[in-house]
Parts: sequence; structure tokens; C-alpha cells
Amino acid sequence: MSVNSWVVYLFEVESSQLVEAELRDAILEDQLEDWENHWQPELWSAMLRLKAQGVWPVKQESAHWNWQDKIQSIRSLLAYRTFCITCGGMTQGMMQVDLTKSARIESQKGKPIVYIDYLENAPWNRPTLNNPARYRNVGTLLIRAAIELSRAEGFKGRIGLHSLPQSNNFYASKCGMTDLGPDSDCQNLRYFEMTIDQARSFLEVPKE
Amino acid sequence: MKVMVTKEWCRAKARLEEDAEVGVGLLALDPLAESCAPRHEEEPQIAFSRFVQLMRRKKKLSVEELAEEADLDLGELVSIEENMHRDPEPRTVYQLAKTFGVPIKKLSQLAGLVVARDPGFSQEALRFAARSEPIEKLTPEENAALESFIAVLSETSEEDEKAR
Amino acid sequence: MTGKRTMTLNLTDAEMSALEELSARKDLNKTAVLRQALRLYQLIEARVEAGEKLYFESETTREKAEVMFL
Repeated sequence: MSVNSWVVYLFEVESSQLVEAELRDAILEDQLEDWENHWQPELWSAMLRLKAQGVWPVKQESAHWNWQDKIQSIRSLLAYRTFCITCGGMTQGMMQVDLTKSARIESQKGKPIVYIDYLENAPWNRPTLNNPARYRNVGTLLIRAAIELSRAEGFKGRIGLHSLPQSNNFYASKCGMTDLGPDSDCQNLRYFEMTIDQARSFLEVPKE
Repeated sequence: MKVMVTKEWCRAKARLEEDAEVGVGLLALDPLAESCAPRHEEEPQIAFSRFVQLMRRKKKLSVEELAEEADLDLGELVSIEENMHRDPEPRTVYQLAKTFGVPIKKLSQLAGLVVARDPGFSQEALRFAARSEPIEKLTPEENAALESFIAVLSETSEEDEKAR
Repeated sequence: MTGKRTMTLNLTDAEMSALEELSARKDLNKTAVLRQALRLYQLIEARVEAGEKLYFESETTREKAEVMFL
């Protein structure tokens, strides 16, 4: 399969510099290996470290155990697309989207959206697990990828997602998405959606 | 599909993103964290050290070979097997769980990194430690004790089943 | 993903009319509508193949009606 890639820039927190990274439109074996051999041990260590300090709240069971199988099984389906960001030879973020879902905001109800099934940052980029975090912009760039895909497919930038509780503020305030509230069909995760105008706004350089 | 990002855009977005969490979707949820009760540091993790030793011998590996296979520090592995009251590193426990093919959560409980919710589990661990004795060759009894304890580690709770 | 191939499509008046109506309703051009249809068809086929069933459910009565696939 052919993979497309684009040059993007992550912000390295320690040096306060931009570093060149790659956005790719596929999650391949390298990503699955990085997830297994680097993300998981780091995630587990960080969580236990925080627990020992008594700071980690109890969260729900992850469905990660079958995630690798799921990624393999969707490879051949047109309905799904995957993306990753790599930097310094390591996977920094991953995303999987579904192209078959429809918008819920009244003004665009029923129109197709790029729905983000899954988006995850590498543990060392997550401030709650690793302070200071290593890189910023992983989430922002993956959301950008979703918007660009939406535009390329004729969906005009419309996207939707169910945010994890700790990420609600990012999608509401930093991405400027509309919060449609908790969704009882998705373990009460809050559903966020972006309109064409919000997508256009996201792609602009934010004013100071 | 076109993605043409400028450095200016990235710089400005990074300032805006700050220290935000960005995870989306049920697949990105973090693993279940057990109770926050601190473990008792004086309790020797005999069952854990016995388990590691027997599993290594079952795989017919020397300590050095296991350290290599699991990508672990040899010194730490030695002190785990000799039960020198050392706190195993979370990464070490993770690597051992992967190498031995047992659930990380249960092995962490055995290693004392997290408190086991199920009191029966601690009993099982104690029983296993009592039945096993570290000699060169794995006896049929040790093998039987090890096999039945592996079954206990692999038992999933109802919650685990629901999550799946 | 980068390579694109062109196909000529012969549609009846009714089919073209349906395509135009969907195009307006979904705010998509006609090509995008057909690509979306292909995605959905492939996805449904894959899931039925894997043993799942596709149903319509009435919002009012909660009655389920299976969508039959060959």
C-alpha cells in the first residue's frame, strides 16, 4: 500500500524549539511495535509512579488488548483511515478515523463527517504522566489531518469525536469545537463536533 | 489530501495547546488503576520471586538468558529471584509479564506494586510459595504447583470480561 | 491511495435523480456520494461476512427489521 507523508513541526518543550516531524496517513508495523515496546511500558510505569504518589484517579478498563487486531482488520476497508506522527524515529501520536458517520449539530445534521474513533498521544508527551511533556502539537496536528481529510473527501472540514474526560477542555477551548454534551451511547463521554466555519478557523494562525 | 503547515502555525498552536491532554475514544482510555492503598514494604514478595524463578526454569533459561530475553538488568533479576526485599521496577514487571505470557495486572499484584482487590489472590500466592521449593530441576510437584498458579493468574474477573 | 483511476458511469434517469438528490441533501458532489456509497457497501459486506447482522430499528416501536444481504 502507498503511504503519503507530510512535513510537520512538533514543539519540543525542553528546548522551546520546533522540531521537524512527519505526518503519515497509515499506522503500520513500526507504529504497532512502538506502541507495544515503548508506549505500553512507559504508560504502565508512569501510572504506577503516580499511584504511589496517590495522585492517579481510578479510570476505566482500556480496550487496548484487542487494539492491534482491530487496526489490522480495518486496513482493507475504505471506511477507515489511520494516521500517525513520527519524530526522532519514534511514533509520537496515532489516530484512526471513520468516514461513514453523520453530523449531529442541527445546522449540519445528517451530513457526512470524519469521525475520530481514536486519537492517542505517546505517554511521554502527556503532561499528566510526564511533567514536563516532551513534545506539544501532536493532538493539534492530528486534528488538522482529520480536517484536511474531511476537506479532501468533500465533507468540507466537518469532524466529530468523543473526547476522554481529561481532554474536554482541549476540544472545547483550544480546538473551538461545539460540545454536544455527554453521550449515553458512548459511556457518557462528551461528543464534540466541528462545523465548516470552525474548521476554517482552526486552520488559521491563532491571533495572540 | 493536502497538509501544508507553516512553522508559524505550529508555533502559535503549540502556545495555545499548552499542557493539554488530547486523547479521544474508548480505545485510548488508560488501563485500570487499582486501589491507591500503599503496599506494605516489609512484606517479602516471596511468591513473586518464587514465580519468576520457576517460570525461568520452566523455560530452561539461566538467569542471564532470561535477562537477555526479557531485556532486563541482570542485577535486578538476580535480586528478584533471591527475594532481597527489593522493589521491582514497573518496567521489569511489565517485561516479565510479557515474556512469561501472564497478565501484567496480576503480576503487578504479585510483585506488590499494586494492592490486590481479591483477598483470595493473596491466599493463592501464599499457597503457591509454600508448595514450591527452589532446587535445580523442576519436580513434577513444582510443575503442577506452577501450572495451577498460572491458571489463577490468567483467571479474568467478571469486570475484565465486561470490558472485553 | 495516491493513484486515481477514471470510470464512466451510465445511469438511468431515476438513478441520476437519486444521485442528485443525495448530493444536495448530503452537501457532497456526485463523485463523493458514490465514493461514500462504496465505503458503506464494503463495510456492511465485511461485517455481515464476519457474522454480524444489519437491522433497522423503529424509533417509536423499537421493532427491529433485518436488512437482508446476499
